[in-house]
Amino acid sequence: MSTEIQAEMVANVWKVVAHEGDALTEGDTLVILESMKMEIPVLAESTGVVAELKVAEGDVVQEGDVLAVIG
Amino acid sequence: MAGRPPRDSDPRNPRLRLRALLDEGGYQEVSAYDASGMLAAIGTVDGVKVVAFACDPTVQGGAMGADGCDVVVRAYDRAVAEDCPVIGIYHSGGARLQEGVGSLHAVGRVFRAMIGASGRVPQISVVLGAAAGGAAYGPALTDVVVLAPEGRIFVTGPDVVRSVTGERVDMARLGGPEPHGRRSGVVHVVADSEAEALARARHLALLLGAQGEVDPEAVQDRPLGGLLPDSPRRAYDVHPLVDAVLDAPGLELHPRWAPNMVTTLGRLGGRTVGVVANNPLRLGGCLDSLSAEKAARFVRTCDAFGVPLVVLVDVPGYLPGVGQEWEGVVRRGAKLLHAFGECVVPRITLVTRKSYGGAYIAMNARSLGATRVFAWPTAQVAVMGAVAAVRILHRRKLSEVPEELREQVELELAAEHEIVAGGLPKARELGVVDEVIEPDATRSALARAIAGAPRRRGAHGNIPL
Repeated sequence: MSTEIQAEMVANVWKVVAHEGDALTEGDTLVILESMKMEIPVLAESTGVVAELKVAEGDVVQEGDVLAVIG
Repeated sequence: MAGRPPRDSDPRNPRLRLRALLDEGGYQEVSAYDASGMLAAIGTVDGVKVVAFACDPTVQGGAMGADGCDVVVRAYDRAVAEDCPVIGIYHSGGARLQEGVGSLHAVGRVFRAMIGASGRVPQISVVLGAAAGGAAYGPALTDVVVLAPEGRIFVTGPDVVRSVTGERVDMARLGGPEPHGRRSGVVHVVADSEAEALARARHLALLLGAQGEVDPEAVQDRPLGGLLPDSPRRAYDVHPLVDAVLDAPGLELHPRWAPNMVTTLGRLGGRTVGVVANNPLRLGGCLDSLSAEKAARFVRTCDAFGVPLVVLVDVPGYLPGVGQEWEGVVRRGAKLLHAFGECVVPRITLVTRKSYGGAYIAMNARSLGATRVFAWPTAQVAVMGAVAAVRILHRRKLSEVPEELREQVELELAAEHEIVAGGLPKARELGVVDEVIEPDATRSALARAIAGAPRRRGAHGNIPL
C-alpha cells in the first residue's frame, strides 16, 4: 500500500534529502521545508521505497500538497 | 425487567472485562448480574480504589435502557461519595429502542451524572467495541477516552448514514482509531489491543487517583541540553525532551491529533504532573486553533484534579493564514489563554529556545499567572525574531541600502535591536523570566518550584472543550 506524504503548512522546499527509489525506514527525512523562519524536516511515517518525489528545491508548497509517495 | 444473566462464555462478557481491569483482590460487584445491559463493580487498581462499570454487549448488543442506566448513575454516585476515579467500559449500540423515549430519558440521566461528577472525580472511558449514539456521548463527556482496535465511536452507524445521505462509509472509517486518533480529537489514547486499552486505563487511574508528592531530593538531573539541535533554525522532535524531563516516559494524550502540541501525563519527583510542550517538528511548533484547544482542555483537566503543570516553550508564534482565521484561531486560542489564566495548580514555564509574540503569552507567561518562569541561557523571548523586527522598524532605512549590503545592515541593526529591546536580560529585569537555568539542572529546578508552590485545585468542571 502506498502512502502520500503531504505538506502540513505553506512552505518553501529548502532541501530534498531523499531520492526516488530510496528505501526509507520510519523517521527518515524526506525533504526539509522552510517556513516560519525554521527548517522543518518532513519524515517518512512508514517504512518503504520512495515511489515518487513530487517537489524540487525552491518550490513553494501549499498545505495538503503531496510531497512524496512511499510505496 | 432484569431476567437472564449475560453469557459467561462470551469474551465480551462484562464480568470478564471488569475482572481484567481491576486487581484480583477486593473485586466486588455493586449491581445485579442480570440482563440490564450493564454491570458495575468497586475494586482497586494497584491498590488504588476505583469504581468501574461495563456495558454488556451479550444482551441486546449492549443497548442502554432504564435499568442499565440506573447502574451507571449509582456507580457515579458511589465514585463521588468515595472520591475515587470512575472507569467506564463501553460496547453498546446506544439507547434501547424497545423502551422508546424512556431509554432516552435514562441515557440523559447518565449524562447528567457524568456532568455532575465532572472535575470532582477523574472519569476514564475505555471503548472496546461499537459505542453508538448515547454510548458515544458518554465517553465524550469524560476526561480521557481510550480506544481499542475494535472500538468504533459514532453518532449514527454506516447503515443510517447511507440511508439518509447516500454516503457510503464503513465503521472503521466513520469512527475507528484512525479518524478519532488523528482527525476528530474524540479519542485521547489509541491502544493496540483490548488488554493494552485496559492497561492504559489503569495507568490513567493511578496517575490521576494516586498523584503522590514531589520529593525534590530524589530528583536526579539529566543532561538535557543535547536534546536540542545545534542550529536555532532547525526543527526537532520534542518527545525525547518531554520524556527526559519526566522520571520515566509518560502517557501522551492526543499524540496524533494537533501534534504540534504535546500533552503528556507523567511523574516528576514521584508526583503526577502534566507536561504541555510545543513540538517544533510539526508545523514548526506554531500554535494554531486545534493545538490551542487541545492544550486548553488538558490544562483544565490538570487544574480540576490538582495536577501541577510543566510548560515547555519553543514557539515561533501563531500559525498565520486564512485557514486558521476561518477555523477560529482567535476563538480557540482564547480558550488556552482562559485555561491558563484561571488555573490555580502550580504551573511552571520553561522557555527552552524561543517564545515569540501572542504565543509567548498563551504558553503560560508570567502575565497569565505562571508560578515560576525559567529560561535556558540561549532562549529568546521577544515580540518577534530580531531580523523580522528590524525589517519593520527600519523599513525605510533598509530600502535605501544597496541590495548587496542589505543583509549585512539587517544583521547589524538586529544585533542593536536585541540589546535595546530585549532578550533575556530585559525579560529578567521586567520579572517576566524569574531565573535562567542550565539545561542540565532543569529537573531539579522544576521539582523545587512545584514543591514550593501551594497545593491547590481548580473549582470547576471539565467541559470537553
